[in-house]
Amino acid sequence: MDLAIPFATLATLGRIFGLIGLSIITGWLLAYASIKSRSFESVYIPLVNVLESIPVIGFLPFVLVIFVLALPARFGVELAVDFLVFDAVAWNIWIGTYQAFKTVPEHLIEVSDNYGFGFFKRLKELYIPHSIPRLTSNIFSSFADAFFYISVSEVFTAGAATASVCPRGTCSTFGIGTLITEYLSSGNFVGVYYSLASIAIAVAVVTFALSRLSRWAVAKYGVDTSDAIKRYAGRWRGRIAYPWRAFRAQMRNVPRLAARSKTGNLVQENRSHNGIAKYVMYAILFLLFAYVLYSSLRIVISVPVSTWYSFLQETPRLLEYVGADYLRVTLITLASLAFAVSVGYLLATHRRAGDTILPLIQVFAAFPAPAYFPLIFIFTLPFLEHTLPFIYSEVYIFILGFLSCFYYVFFDFWIGVQAIPSEFNELARNHELPFSTRMRRVIFPSTLPYIITGLSSTINSAWAGIAIGEFWPNIAPTVAPNGLQVPFGMMYYISANMANGQIAAAAYVSIIFAVIVAIYGVVFTRNLMDLARKKYVVEEGVFAA
Amino acid sequence: MVVLDCQELSYRFPNSKTIFVDINLYTAKDELVAVVGPTGTGKSTLLRVIAHLIPPTTGRVFLDGVEVRRPSSRISLVHQSIATFPWMTALENVRLVLSDKNMTEDEAIQLSKKMLSLVGLEGAENLYPKEMSGGMRQRVALARALGASPEVLLLDEPFVHLDELTANEIRKEVHELVFNPETTLKSVVLVSHNLHEVVQLADRVYIMNGSPARITDVVRIDLPRPRDERDPLFYDYVDTLYRGLDIRSIR
Repeated sequence: MDLAIPFATLATLGRIFGLIGLSIITGWLLAYASIKSRSFESVYIPLVNVLESIPVIGFLPFVLVIFVLALPARFGVELAVDFLVFDAVAWNIWIGTYQAFKTVPEHLIEVSDNYGFGFFKRLKELYIPHSIPRLTSNIFSSFADAFFYISVSEVFTAGAATASVCPRGTCSTFGIGTLITEYLSSGNFVGVYYSLASIAIAVAVVTFALSRLSRWAVAKYGVDTSDAIKRYAGRWRGRIAYPWRAFRAQMRNVPRLAARSKTGNLVQENRSHNGIAKYVMYAILFLLFAYVLYSSLRIVISVPVSTWYSFLQETPRLLEYVGADYLRVTLITLASLAFAVSVGYLLATHRRAGDTILPLIQVFAAFPAPAYFPLIFIFTLPFLEHTLPFIYSEVYIFILGFLSCFYYVFFDFWIGVQAIPSEFNELARNHELPFSTRMRRVIFPSTLPYIITGLSSTINSAWAGIAIGEFWPNIAPTVAPNGLQVPFGMMYYISANMANGQIAAAAYVSIIFAVIVAIYGVVFTRNLMDLARKKYVVEEGVFAA
Repeated sequence: MVVLDCQELSYRFPNSKTIFVDINLYTAKDELVAVVGPTGTGKSTLLRVIAHLIPPTTGRVFLDGVEVRRPSSRISLVHQSIATFPWMTALENVRLVLSDKNMTEDEAIQLSKKMLSLVGLEGAENLYPKEMSGGMRQRVALARALGASPEVLLLDEPFVHLDELTANEIRKEVHELVFNPETTLKSVVLVSHNLHEVVQLADRVYIMNGSPARITDVVRIDLPRPRDERDPLFYDYVDTLYRGLDIRSIR
């Protein structure tokens, strides 16, 4: 076995946990600033909510260009990858931390006021401990997200897409995704298998460790929970089942926490403002914005006016590409939703099947699709090329997209079904509601907030899947010299132009896409989320004075 | 004439203790039967077993002489926590249980309105639960249960989440509401901790005690309706029930 494999796996893991750590630390500071300053909170929370609903992958080429132009190529690519992974995990952790800080019990805040705790002591002894259970449960999904996006980024940067900004191999990041891409290029399948095994071990160990951490955190830091610190006698069955039970216990806490944050049981902070934290955050946000603006202007100025004019003329065709990709994303999303609703409902209502199958899906979900997809491609290409000669590339994009994202809406729907009050289920059974009525009038409305959240993540990751699927020239040089390519698509246009040195063209369509997804995120996703939060709050359905 | 007949019911939670055993309980036509017992004797579980929402460990339930083998709206449960769907109006909440009743949309709406009117919610058809008080929500739940054309209504602590004034108001009406000639209802089983409420409403009272719980006594309430709480006999019945409860049995 190549010794680079474990090191590359550790490098990827290190990058993931480094970025998760950064998200947590910044999340604590931002959440603290939010609860101390109403004005900061009124900017921060809507901003995070909007950014959360925008697919990060749409910005990958653009961000890559900005970082590479500003910094030495290798360092620029590394930072671009890190920025995007950070972007993928940060929102989840930031919002979770904010909600945890907002729900610190009033009497504990009074105690800290009473004894005159300062900024650090207040954070260390009160807010941070209170956020630990929420954070540890959020790290589950953040880890899977980060692993997926880092693999996408590694494949993207190791491939031909960055060939023009940095010659092949000179600036790809060191990680397991890059290594797999290199093994595939050279036809080293043994290397690929060992790499996949290495990822499997890493995923299993991390999932197990996070489950233990989560359970411990709830037992130690949970306020007024029934979770006792349990000591296991070492029976193997208990140990194997343990992580899953912990995960389920965490998931059951989700609706409770959400309900708490909605019911007005929030701490209204009007205490002494911490000016320093607030202004530091304003400054950081301002610098980031200024940097992005400056870099964008540099690109704009460096391109002749005639070139911009030709881009403008090309816009209708580019919009068709965007439309084609939206159609692909829609199909993938619908398939994911159908899978979630059918299998998710089955597993949520058949506990024994759920206990067996859900942990497998959980581990599978944390296993990044770009790492193993080339193998699926290699083994099925002869068959699909023969049976579906005109659309086999589309089928591969669909499969890659589906594998990249189906589990988000699946797990969210499953959690939503679990959170439906038992009274509702009993009512449906008692009155013998037909299956279609039950789904339409009870299950879907009850789980709508969960479905929307899941769909948002699913759509984001579907974009990531097709981003690499439309232009993956080095997916398997031994069986497909041209790789996987679908020219009629925006993601192909971006990647191919970058590979040919047409950075401005890639940036232009990337900007168009960014504008569209921002509008989509604000108009569609946010409105749906607002509707769900106002009308479809299942916790309000059970009145207990 | 026996409507509901529960024979030798027992229930044991999976891998856990037995909750109750040897429960024999029946209801006659136009009879409101109550079940009282200390906390933990499994009264709410008993209602779910009767509705077959959870199958009994042993024993059988008969409705009009036919064994109940699956949940059916002919035995309708009104929950202790008032359960109304927040995304549906009062009318839609009632309309929901008429989905499978072989009636047109118009008939279903008319019946829903009639049930809401029956429980005093005429004019509130288009309100959402969050726009209603707890008492109104409980009336919606009651209208929904009655709309399903049940023969037996199971009421699980139906007034426990209401303030005393509202609960009193509904209690006074509930007998007339449920046994209204316009409903299909034949009998009611009420579970309650409130002995005054039980004496106010019930024709017969089953007292459960012990662990596992058993029926230890049955008291017939022979008081004319409407019942007056200031009547000395009313208090005698409350005392009788109180003395019948073995609070220590749950320790």
